[in-house]
Amino acid sequence: MTGFDFSLIADHSALLLTGAAMTVYVVIVSFVLAFGFGIVVALLSFLPGAVPRAFLSAYSIVLRSIPFIIVLFIVYYGLPFAGFHLSALLVGILALSFYKSAYYGEIIRAAIVALPRGQFESARAVGMSPRQAFVHVIAPQLVRGLLPPSTNMTLTLIKESSVLSTVTIGELTYQGMVMQGATYAPLECFAAVSGLYWALCAGTAWIAGRLERRAGLAQKAAIDRNPLAASFLSFERPKVRR
Amino acid sequence: MSASPVLRVQGLSKSFQGVPVVQSIDLDVHKGQVVAMIGPSGCGKTTLLRCSAGLERPDRGFVELEGQPFGHERHGAEIRRQSPRQMDRMRPKVGMVFQQLNLWPHLSALDNVVKPQVVVLKRTRAEAAERARTLFTQLGLSAKADEYPYALSGGQRQRVAIARALALDPALLMFDEPTSALDPELVAEVLAMLRSLASGGMTMVIVTHEMNFAANVADRLILMGKGRIVEDRPARGSVK
Amino acid sequence: MFEQAYLFSILPKLFSAAWVNLQIALLIAAISIVMAMLVTIVRTAKIGVVNGAFNFVASFVRGTPLLVQIFLCYYVLPSFGIDLEPLTAGVLAISLNSTVFLSETMRGGLQTIDPGQIEASLALGLRRSVIWHRVLLPQLLIRILPLLVNELTIIIKGTALLSVITVVEVMRTAQQLAAASFRPFESLLGAGLVFLVLNVFFILLASVLETRLQKRAT
Repeated sequence: MTGFDFSLIADHSALLLTGAAMTVYVVIVSFVLAFGFGIVVALLSFLPGAVPRAFLSAYSIVLRSIPFIIVLFIVYYGLPFAGFHLSALLVGILALSFYKSAYYGEIIRAAIVALPRGQFESARAVGMSPRQAFVHVIAPQLVRGLLPPSTNMTLTLIKESSVLSTVTIGELTYQGMVMQGATYAPLECFAAVSGLYWALCAGTAWIAGRLERRAGLAQKAAIDRNPLAASFLSFERPKVRR
Repeated sequence: MSASPVLRVQGLSKSFQGVPVVQSIDLDVHKGQVVAMIGPSGCGKTTLLRCSAGLERPDRGFVELEGQPFGHERHGAEIRRQSPRQMDRMRPKVGMVFQQLNLWPHLSALDNVVKPQVVVLKRTRAEAAERARTLFTQLGLSAKADEYPYALSGGQRQRVAIARALALDPALLMFDEPTSALDPELVAEVLAMLRSLASGGMTMVIVTHEMNFAANVADRLILMGKGRIVEDRPARGSVK
Repeated sequence: MFEQAYLFSILPKLFSAAWVNLQIALLIAAISIVMAMLVTIVRTAKIGVVNGAFNFVASFVRGTPLLVQIFLCYYVLPSFGIDLEPLTAGVLAISLNSTVFLSETMRGGLQTIDPGQIEASLALGLRRSVIWHRVLLPQLLIRILPLLVNELTIIIKGTALLSVITVVEVMRTAQQLAAASFRPFESLLGAGLVFLVLNVFFILLASVLETRLQKRAT
């Protein structure tokens, strides 16, 4: 070992930052698509009858069973079969969004199920219209319930996006490999790449933390609603509500 | 009395999945009355309450609030369903205190009372907050205004729910099983509060299955069984 | 054209490759559970430096992709004189990941244990090691059993990433088959099916365990 050469990282900083920017871009687009699709999936699961719920379970079990790298390659080689010839970047984003939609769908469904019963009705009882009830009573609570698990899932999304390097999408991991090919300095390359991922994750967690704080006493309220969570997260006994 | 009753129910029937729950109920509640509706569980008292509050549509029959049709409209001889929007406008006339209270956990106690005033009655925040604080003082909640529901005791939560209903200046206050979600030692507290509301002239309908409680608080007892009114008589412990 | 016959013809090869993934995964799971238990016990001793170090490592592991960690173990460790086989490097990377995750899971599990039990055990004069061994760990493991099985499926999925450092498992086998047959779609679909079969078993097992345990708890 010959010591850590910072100048290597400095020399390739443009490359690495391009990669990081691409990762941010891919993550943001995939998040929006996956979350949007997750909402659809979650709402579908509330349709009457056993079929929609069973469909959501099957959908999520299948996607939770298969490694993302394989889903990515199936989509990558499968889309041309279906007559779609898309760029690697688009394929990667679609595959990642599709893969994550199952997870977001489960989170969204859980947040809806966790709403205390009678909230909508009590809003209606004071004379709010259905729309007002949603805006003033339901939505704020949904956001609180959704934030913490969505944050976790989004951190996973950031990390999982590194797999896109295997289909030559120029995100952070890929650019790290390019740098490694040019410099034969794995230590510096992967230290820089890890550091950037770490920063991206920490940044995302920080933003999410701010949002959670802005949402007020979200966590306390959530704990109180959920005795199971209280048993994990709180040192006080949950209040008994009959 | 020449004035219209606060609540008039006429020939009201409601079934769920073919099972009749409430059958041809007629009921008038006049201003200032405190009516306790008692009966075993499943006798239809909660359904009657919910139909009167416009939370369920009756299959047959009509509800009127202070002489105004609620849930239906008369056009000459023709009777139509009232539009949802019109029903939303009428609903604040009935203050409903749910069995589970259904406070909004994301809002402070004060905001639970302020929000509906602002959203539904279009009061300004300042007006709404003033009204809420006045009610909180009356109900002994002043110190708890900024607490969130999870930090309140069962009795305090119930008082917030009552304040939320009262803030909309309802003509009628309805309680669904006000004592069932509370610890037994709090029942006396609820009783005292209901009495003070009654002495202030509030018209109230209280659904309960506790005979003792009903007899203590109400000046009129309605006994229900199998979806019908079995008995309607003055209560012994009439507070006036 | 989609070749069903080809897909069926490669399934036996892929399933025998799955045996590799399963073995690796079970090895990693065993290492991680043992390591996580040790780490958890050490963390409860509340030694500032040790816990600080753990938090640092945990934050790093959670803040970087598994793929990058695998590269770190495979490409970077040699610069420190640690030259690992691809398989060993992969096992190390995934084990590290799972150890961190499981230790956090165990911390959560510990908070659900009634403190009265500890007092009772101490009152009986049990030694600290005995309390861990006989009282806490058995309960803890049972409580987090569904999460352990769930973690196993995550480990199994993680083993597919070892293909990028040339470990011949399902994914790598599928890629080799694809290169030989020019049928990448069918080959990868086959690999997906193999993982589906492997993991559905464990996912269903986890949910059965969870409902069992919930029933027991009530």
